[in-house]
Amino acid sequence: MKNAVSGLGLAPDAAMVTFPIEMFLPGSDISPVETRKHEFYDGLTGWKSDLTAPSNGASPLLSVRGATFEDALVRANNLILANQWGDGLPVWPATRERVQWILQGTPRPREHVLGTFPPRGGVATVEICAIALAMAGGRPEYLPVLVAAVEAFLDSASGSEQLQAASGSAFPVVIVNGPIAKQIRLNSGFGCLGPDPQRPAGASIGRALRLMQQNVGGARPGVGTMANYGGLRYTNVVFAEDEENLPAGWAPHGTERHGFAPGSNSISLAFANGATNIRRRGAKKETPEEDALQGMHRMADFMRVPNLAGLAGYGHGTPGILMIPGVVAQTMAGLGWTKRSMREFLWEHSKIPAEHLRRAGGYAWIEIDASKVTRDSAALDPWPITACPDNFVLIVAGGGHPTNSYWLQGYSPGVVGRAIALPEEFPRLLAEAERDMNGG
Amino acid sequence: MVTLEFHEPTGGLEARQPHAPRLDALEGKRIGFVSNEQWQAFRMLPLLKTLLERDFAGIEVLPINAFPQGNALIGNEETAAEVKRSGVDAVIIGNAA
Repeated sequence: MKNAVSGLGLAPDAAMVTFPIEMFLPGSDISPVETRKHEFYDGLTGWKSDLTAPSNGASPLLSVRGATFEDALVRANNLILANQWGDGLPVWPATRERVQWILQGTPRPREHVLGTFPPRGGVATVEICAIALAMAGGRPEYLPVLVAAVEAFLDSASGSEQLQAASGSAFPVVIVNGPIAKQIRLNSGFGCLGPDPQRPAGASIGRALRLMQQNVGGARPGVGTMANYGGLRYTNVVFAEDEENLPAGWAPHGTERHGFAPGSNSISLAFANGATNIRRRGAKKETPEEDALQGMHRMADFMRVPNLAGLAGYGHGTPGILMIPGVVAQTMAGLGWTKRSMREFLWEHSKIPAEHLRRAGGYAWIEIDASKVTRDSAALDPWPITACPDNFVLIVAGGGHPTNSYWLQGYSPGVVGRAIALPEEFPRLLAEAERDMNGG
Repeated sequence: MVTLEFHEPTGGLEARQPHAPRLDALEGKRIGFVSNEQWQAFRMLPLLKTLLERDFAGIEVLPINAFPQGNALIGNEETAAEVKRSGVDAVIIGNAA
C-alpha cells in the first residue's frame, strides 16, 4: 500500500489500519475492526505523515571496503541483499565505470526520464536502466532493448500499474523483432526462454527489467507484489522472433501487431502468468494435414479452460502468446495455413461452453469486469476466451524441431510496441561484443 | 584495502502532492466510504459505519454504496469528482489485501 501511495505522488506512507489476511477471507471474524476502531478514528483526525520523499536526481554512490577485491565484492553483495535490491543470485555491483560503459548503448542522455515505475512511483531514468543492466550482468548493446521494454512497460496501456502489485504472478514477455536480435545474441531458437551461454542477452535484459520492477517499482514479494508464486520472474521472458524461418508471406510480429516496418528493430511487450509446453506433432502415420490439424486442436483444447486469465486483456490485450518453431511454421504454410487462419482456428476452437463456465464460477468474474466488451461477452455461448482472433499473439520461435509448441498464458490488458533507438556508435559496440564474447 | 563504489538502484521519488489535512474532530462530520467490494468490505465497512455513528455525536456516515464501488471504478477521476461534489469531510477506502 505504501508503494501505491507513493505511486500517486504522495509521500510514501498513509493512514492505514492493517489486519492479517485471515480477516479478509469469507466467514472471517471481523471483531478486530471494533477492538481497533481508534486506529481508524486516528487515521481521520490525528495522523501525520512522517516522511518526506527524496527528490528526483542522480543515483547516489555507495561504498564498501574489503581487504581484497573478492572481500569487497562479497560485502557489496551483502549490502545489496540487506537493502533488498538483489534477487538472491549474485549481482555485479553497478560501479561508476560499468554504468558509464553500458550507457554507451543509448543515444539518450543518462538523466532522460522514461516515466515512473508502478506501484512505488520510482523515477525510471536511462541511468537507472543502465544500473539495473549492470547488476544483471548486461552489456551496452543490450541497453537499447531494455530502454524500449521499459518504455512499453510504463505505458499505461500495458496494465503494469495493476499487474506489478497483483496476486496473479504476471511477468512481462518481451518479443524482439529486427536485426538487432541476432546482433546482440538474443535467442530465437533452441532453448530461447532459458539460459544460453551462446545467446545470453535475453537473460540479462529480462533480469534487469525485473530488478527495476523490484527496486524502482517496489515489487518485493509479499510487500509490493502479492504474486502468489512469481514464476519466471528471475529473468522474465525476453526472446526474438525467428524471422529467418518465417514462411513467405508471414509478417513479423512487430509488423503484424504494431505496424513497424519489416526489418526494423522493435519490441513488443505483453504480460503472461503461465508457461507450458504443448505436444504438437502426431506419433503414428498421420498425413501432413492430419498432423497439422491434430496439433491445432491440441493447442486450442489447452486454451479452452475457464480460469479466466484472458479477462485482463479481453478487448484489446491478449489471451496468450503461442510460439511455434520455424519448421512447424514452414510445414503449416505449405499446407495453406497463415498466422491469421491459425488465430481464427484457435479463437473458434478455444470457446468454452456456457455450462463449463457456469460450473466454474466464471460468470461472476466476467460480470464484475471493468470493460463493457467483456461484460457483454457473458451472453455468448460458447464463450470466446478473447474478444477477437487478432488478440492471439502467434510467434515463430523455438528450436528447429517439430514436436512441441509453447503457450504463454496471457494476463495482459495490452500488447505494447516500441521502436528501438540505437546510438551512432552501435557498430563499434557490436565489434567489441564480438571480441569479448569470443574470450577476448 | 580495496574500496568498491557502486550506484544505489532504486531511483528517486517525486512527492507531487501533500496528504489531505486531517479533521479536527469527528463529531458532526460527514464521512463516506469508497469500497472495492472485495475482501469482506461488504461486512467490515458497515461495521465501521455503525461504530462511528455510535461513538460520535452528530456524525453522518454515508452508506457504502453511496459512491461507485469496485476496483474498476474507485480509482477513476469521475469517482473522485463525485466524492468531492458530495461534500463529505473525509472518506475511508477499503479493502486492500
